[in-house]
Amino acid sequence: MSKKRNFFFLSFPTTFALLVLFVAPMVYILINTLQQDGIANFVKFLTDSFYLNILKTTVIISLKTTGILLLLGYPTAYFLARTTSKLKNTMMIIILFPFLVSAVVRSYGWMVILGNKGLLNQFLLAVGLIENPLKIMYTSHAVIVGLVHLLLPYMILSITGVIQGIDKNLEYAASSLGCNPLKTFFKVLLPLSTPGIISGCTLVFTLSMTAYVTPRLLGGANFRMMSTMVFQEVNVNFNWGLASAISYILMFVILLFLVVFNLATASINQRVGGQKHA
Amino acid sequence: MHEDRVSLFPKIVTILVLIFLVAPLVVIILASFSPTVLVVFPPKGFSLKWYANIFTSSTNFLSGLGNSLKVAIVATLIDIVLGVAAALSVTRYTFKGKHLLIAFFTSPMYVPSIAFAFVLLRVFSMIGGVPAYLRILLGHSIIIIPYIIRNTIAVLAGYNWLLEDAAASLSANPLQTFTKVTLPLIKPGIMAGALLSFLYSFDEAVLGSLLSSPRFITLPIRIMNYMEFSFDPTLAAISTLLIVMSLTSIVLMERLIGLDMFLK
Repeated sequence: MSKKRNFFFLSFPTTFALLVLFVAPMVYILINTLQQDGIANFVKFLTDSFYLNILKTTVIISLKTTGILLLLGYPTAYFLARTTSKLKNTMMIIILFPFLVSAVVRSYGWMVILGNKGLLNQFLLAVGLIENPLKIMYTSHAVIVGLVHLLLPYMILSITGVIQGIDKNLEYAASSLGCNPLKTFFKVLLPLSTPGIISGCTLVFTLSMTAYVTPRLLGGANFRMMSTMVFQEVNVNFNWGLASAISYILMFVILLFLVVFNLATASINQRVGGQKHA
Repeated sequence: MHEDRVSLFPKIVTILVLIFLVAPLVVIILASFSPTVLVVFPPKGFSLKWYANIFTSSTNFLSGLGNSLKVAIVATLIDIVLGVAAALSVTRYTFKGKHLLIAFFTSPMYVPSIAFAFVLLRVFSMIGGVPAYLRILLGHSIIIIPYIIRNTIAVLAGYNWLLEDAAASLSANPLQTFTKVTLPLIKPGIMAGALLSFLYSFDEAVLGSLLSSPRFITLPIRIMNYMEFSFDPTLAAISTLLIVMSLTSIVLMERLIGLDMFLK
């Protein structure tokens, strides 16, 4: 009996706070939106190519970002997991440190580098590689650079943990049986580290779908992603109904991707022998 | 020989990644000492005037800093109490649906901040009269709670509960057992989680954007607003201060519990 009471006493405050301040508002505003204008705003979003393109841009930017992150993050994670260097802790600090710096500050750093009069253009002009400054700021390229910078630590950390759990002897065994490094990678390392890859990709994809500061600062006023669009509908167009619809559609799209990713993880885990890394 | 060749490719990528990660931060630090408005390299001298600007001109960065600290400190303190209790409840007892409860506790992580921020904005405007400080504080208390709970659960997973039984058999009451035995052992983990949550709240800009009022604006929003009108290195100076704060935090975290907690 007293155990039950203690459990209730410990879990109640958080449960109560989440129900009152999180679950109830999320559900209430959805019902309220539907009561006020029915599904009109949802229909407007899903039939107007202007809005559909914003959703498309958001998904494409997030997919590109995730792909680049995987290409950069995997080798880095492998190196971190396998290195015996004394500098490993320093490297970990360098990777984690930007992770703890505000997205506003990091975007500002990229603005100084990528701007029309920025350091990159100054350098390229001085070297003579270009004659006119490159237009990078306020394009999707700048947003992708910013997002990759923002999310690299997440990807690296997700995969490093999993690779650390793979026995190094498996790689030795493969190479002693005549596999070249490439084959060892595709036949041994990649299948065994898939859970980490999937959890890393899921995480960074979700985070780039919902990123707000980076697209706002590096994309500028005419570059629209779902989250900056919510803000614009609230503060510029004062269309709260549409802002609601965009918010809930974004949540739904992310949920859909999470379900697909989870199903993929389940089927892959089955194939590689039910490892519980993810 | 063979092995060295295998690790060359990951090594090169790692070096490039590390350079890419620190580049904008190094640029900001160098830019903060720039004597000219336009940042050029190599710099044409050295100046501290942008740091002076933070204090002297009407940037409002200091009031923003004060507001952000007020929100982050209070939200973290509230969530340490709530989160540690919640983490204890799901690690101390075994029961059906435990995973569901953990999923519920960490659910704010899976909802886009912009959606949650907008929902709160609507709810608070329906209620009316809720000051911006309270709006942001309540919002932040919800979005950082998963981080404290996850970290504490991770620490508690390695905790030997027999120690509590031992304390109880030596006639310590439950409160004594917790404060004298369990808490000291899990404290470093809680502190690290709290530090992480504090920084999250301190740097948060989405709820801050939608829920602030002209009278209460947090630092990240102040910085973004400043950027829309001027782009001088005052931004670099305030950013450098924030970078130093983060660097201090990570060194502190490394000392507290090591950095392996990030690999789970």
